[in-house]
Amino acid sequence: MYKYDAVDKTIVSDRVEQFRGQVSRHLAGELSAADLAPLRLRNGLYMQIHAHMLRVSIPYGLLSSEQMHALAQVSRQYDKGYGHFTTRQNIQFNWPELADVPDILKDLSNVEMHAIQTSGNCIRNISSDHYAGVATDEIIDPRPYCEIIRQWSTLHPEFYWLPRKFKIAVTGATQDRAAVKFHDIGLEVVHNDANQVGFRVYVGGGLGRTPVIGKVIKEFLPREDILSYCEAILRVYNLHGRRDNKYKARIKILVNAMGIDDFRDEVEAEWAHFKDGELKLHDVDFETMQAFFPKPAYQELESGDERVAKWRDLDDRFKAWYDNNTVDHIQPGYRIVNISLKEHGVAPGDATDSQMDAIANIAEQFSFGEIRVTHEQNLVLADVREQDLLDIWKALDADRLATPNIGSVNDMICCPGLDFCSLANASSISVAKQINEKFEDFEELYNIGEVKLKMSGCMNACGHHHVGHIGILGVDKKGEEWYQLTVGGDASNNAALGTHLGKAIAKDKVSDAIGDILDVYKDLRSDDERLLDTFRRVGIDPFKEKVYSEEV
Amino acid sequence: MATTKTVANRAIKARAKATPDRIQNDILSTKAIVNQQIVGNAIHHVAETEELTSRDLPKGDISVPMNLWLDHKTELQARTGLVAVQIAADEFPEDFADEYADIPMIVLPMVAHIDGRSYSHAYKLRTRFNYKGEIRAIGDVKYDQLSFLTRSGCNAFELPAGENLETALNAFSEMSDVYQPSADGGALIFSRRRAVH
Repeated sequence: MYKYDAVDKTIVSDRVEQFRGQVSRHLAGELSAADLAPLRLRNGLYMQIHAHMLRVSIPYGLLSSEQMHALAQVSRQYDKGYGHFTTRQNIQFNWPELADVPDILKDLSNVEMHAIQTSGNCIRNISSDHYAGVATDEIIDPRPYCEIIRQWSTLHPEFYWLPRKFKIAVTGATQDRAAVKFHDIGLEVVHNDANQVGFRVYVGGGLGRTPVIGKVIKEFLPREDILSYCEAILRVYNLHGRRDNKYKARIKILVNAMGIDDFRDEVEAEWAHFKDGELKLHDVDFETMQAFFPKPAYQELESGDERVAKWRDLDDRFKAWYDNNTVDHIQPGYRIVNISLKEHGVAPGDATDSQMDAIANIAEQFSFGEIRVTHEQNLVLADVREQDLLDIWKALDADRLATPNIGSVNDMICCPGLDFCSLANASSISVAKQINEKFEDFEELYNIGEVKLKMSGCMNACGHHHVGHIGILGVDKKGEEWYQLTVGGDASNNAALGTHLGKAIAKDKVSDAIGDILDVYKDLRSDDERLLDTFRRVGIDPFKEKVYSEEV
Repeated sequence: MATTKTVANRAIKARAKATPDRIQNDILSTKAIVNQQIVGNAIHHVAETEELTSRDLPKGDISVPMNLWLDHKTELQARTGLVAVQIAADEFPEDFADEYADIPMIVLPMVAHIDGRSYSHAYKLRTRFNYKGEIRAIGDVKYDQLSFLTRSGCNAFELPAGENLETALNAFSEMSDVYQPSADGGALIFSRRRAVH
C-alpha cells in the first residue's frame, strides 16, 4: 500500500498542529464556535446529539494491520471501545472529547492516517473497489489512480469552500463495486481502442434527497489528464453551483439545470486554458505509484485444498461461511475473505477494540498485513491462502466475526440513525435488529439469496436506501417513526433507483413487510433469479399487493 | 471596444443585486495585512447599491464596485488617490478582461468565508489574466482563510474589527508543504518527485 514520504508526513503533521492551534484558540475564546465549526468539520469532527463524532479517513478503504491496531487503540484510549465503519470506507468514533482530538490526530499521524476532508463542503475521501488488485473481473487496478487523486485533492486551496460536499469514486473492474454512477465524479478506468489507459468520466450522480444517476461527461479521458479534467469540473462547480439552498447545492443539481451537454461545454472550455500545464501527469508518475501496490509475494499453489474441502463437508457452519463470505481470487490457491460486521444484535458496521486488534493480527498472519473496508460496512482480507481458511474461520469465529451472511438480507447497510445522528428522523439500528430477529434462520437466508438491503434514518440517505434491492427510509410523521420502502434499486453497472412501494409503514411492521416482499419473490422467481431480477421482470405491483393486502 | 464593455456591464446589472452575493455596507478598516506585513489602511470600500453614483463617493483612496467603474471609468481615473475595483463573488473575471491594465488593485469582497468563489476569481486573475497588481480580500476573511487565499492569488487582506492581526500572521507559516499548484507557482507533487528520480 501507499507509504508516506517526507512531503506527506510534513503536510499531515503540520495539519495536526494547525488544528491543535484552532482548538486552543477556540478554548481560549479567540475563535468562535461558529467559526470553528467549518474548520473542525474539515478535520472530520462533527457535533452530534450526545457528543462529538470523529471520522477518520481510510483512503479507498485500505488499511495496514498497524493502522488497524492504532484505530483499536484510539477507540480504547479516547472513546468507548468501539468504532463504526462507514459507507465511505472510513471509520467513525462516537465519543471523543474536543480537547483530545488533536492528540488523537497526532497518534493517527504516526501511522500515516488523518481525518482531513472527511467532512465539510470539500473533496472527500476517494472511494474505490474493495476487491481492487485481486478481483477476477478486474481490468485495471484503480488504487494508484485513487492515491494520485487523493494527493491532488488534499488541501487544494481553491476547492476547500465548495457549494457542498464532493465525492469521487474509481473502479477498474467489469462489475462496479464502487457505485461510480452515484458520485459527484465517477471514474471507470478503461482501455481505448488503441489500448491506452484512461477514464470514462461520469458526473453529477448522487443519492441524498434528490437521487440522480451520473451522466457520462467524457467517454475517454487519457489518464495523464485526470487531474486537470477534475480541476476543470471542480472550478465550474465552485463558480456555478448553487449556494442559496444547501439541498440544491450538489453538482448533480447544477448538471441537471444546465443539461449535461452545456455543462460539458463549460468544462471543456475551462479545461482548454490549462490542460497541458503543470497538472499533466507522466507515465513515470503512474509507474511510481503502481509500485506501491505490487502483487503480494504469492506462493505458487494449486486451486483447492483437501482439508478445507473435507471440513466443508463435515461442518455446516464452516461450509456456510465459506460459501457466503469468501470469494474467488485471481491467484490460484488464494481466496478473498469477507469479515461480516453484521452480527445479529450489533449495529451494522461496528467493531470493538478487541475485534479490531484480532482482525489486525489475523491479517498480519494470513493476509500480508492488509485489510480493506467495504462501502457495505464490512471488512475484507484480500489475499489469504485457501489452505489457511479453516484457521482463519476459527480465529474470526472466536471474535464473533464469522457471521455467514455476506450479501444476504441481514448484511444490511445502515446509517447511525436517530440513536446518534442529529439529522435523523427515525432510528435505523433498532429496525436493523428487528429484521435480524425476523431472519434468524440462515438456511432461509441462503434460499433467498442476494438481497442488498439498505436503510437510512432520513432523506439525506447515508444508508444509500435509493440503491438497495430493498430500500428503507425512516421518516417522521407527527413525532412518530415511519418507514418508506422501495424495491429494485441497484448501485452497480445497471444503476437504478428503487421504486416506491407505497405509503409509509409503521415501525413494528417493517420486518413483516420485508418478509412479504421476499415471499412474493420466492413465489414468482424463476431459475436462479435474484430478487432484483424478479423485480425487473414483474414490476412493483405484486409486491405492493402483498404488503398492503392486510390493511384493506 | 466600448460596445463589448457595455454588454458585459448590462448582463451583470440584470442579475438580482440584493443577494447575499454582494457586500451590503461600506467597509473601512484601519489596518490591513499586505504581503504578510501589518500596515495602516485608508481605503474606503464602497458597497454597491441601486442608488450609488460617482458623485456619492468619499474622498481619498477608495474601491468601487465593477459596475460603477465600467459606467464612470474616465471620471474615476481623473480622481486623485487610489481607485481600486471590486469583483463580487457572483461576477466573473473573464467579463472584464479588457479592464485589468487600467485597474491598480482588485478587491474581492467576501460576504461569508464559506463561499469559495472568490478563490477561483483570484486564481483566474493571476494565472489567466496575468494580473500583477494587489489582490485584496475583504469582508468575512479571518486567520484561518489567509493561507489558502494566499495560495489562490490574494496578497492583501482586511480582517473584521476585533480580529487579532498579529496572531493571524501565523497563518502564513502553519503549512510548510503542499501537494498541488495553484496561483502560488507551486509544483504538482508528482512533478517534484519526478525531478528527484
